[in-house]
Amino acid sequence: MSNISKKQTLLATCSGEVVKLEDVCDEVFSSGILGKGFAIIPSGNDFFSPVSGTITNAYDTGHAYMITSKDGLEVLVHIGIDTVELDGEFFSPVVKTNMSVSQGDKLGYADTSNILSRGYDPITPIVITNPEKIENLKITYGKVKALDVIMEYTLK
Amino acid sequence: MKEFKHIIKDKNGLHARPAGMLASVARTFESEIRVEAKGKEADGKRLLSLMSLGAKCGTELHFKIEGNDEDVAVKALIEHCDTKLNGE
Repeated sequence: MSNISKKQTLLATCSGEVVKLEDVCDEVFSSGILGKGFAIIPSGNDFFSPVSGTITNAYDTGHAYMITSKDGLEVLVHIGIDTVELDGEFFSPVVKTNMSVSQGDKLGYADTSNILSRGYDPITPIVITNPEKIENLKITYGKVKALDVIMEYTLK
Repeated sequence: MKEFKHIIKDKNGLHARPAGMLASVARTFESEIRVEAKGKEADGKRLLSLMSLGAKCGTELHFKIEGNDEDVAVKALIEHCDTKLNGE
């Protein structure tokens, strides 16, 4: 690959506030066993792909997306905690499994205020599930707009 | 090679949390761990691979474990499936 030492980026999946993965109230995410990353407390309802690549799996329920980036990163975007239990209510996925996406393409829509009012935390962890491939991770925490650069990294 | 089968009883299937926990257990072993379901095969150590099986409640997972520590691995994985992949 020609751009091995080049800085790569992950974009904000949605508008909101970027917090540490450790701050997610679900130990599967906060303990880091799924991988490295961050979480966004969403303030909007539109969700976008943080990387360019292929949708490895888009759940019918619209709450989780797995994207394999062009540089080989496996990225999980999981909208909300335990939202699998909503069985698709409040979610409208736009992409399907095996589709190609560019950084910033829309993945889907989630009605975050209704998710919240139903008692589910809409916090959205974005996790690199094969973090052994990357180094020099730099994550910018705080308020973000969708498609802002949140994370920089280089490939090992 | 060691093999065993497990039918998912968690009503939400093999979604992010159970798949992640399964992968984290699998990664503690040196052996190669393959999981088959519905005619597809996944790498048991990789969350995304496991999730792409699309295994739902009632889906049978067929584990195939091969390597130096397969005896310990199969025990640990059976125990993990019985305690953690059964929902409430």
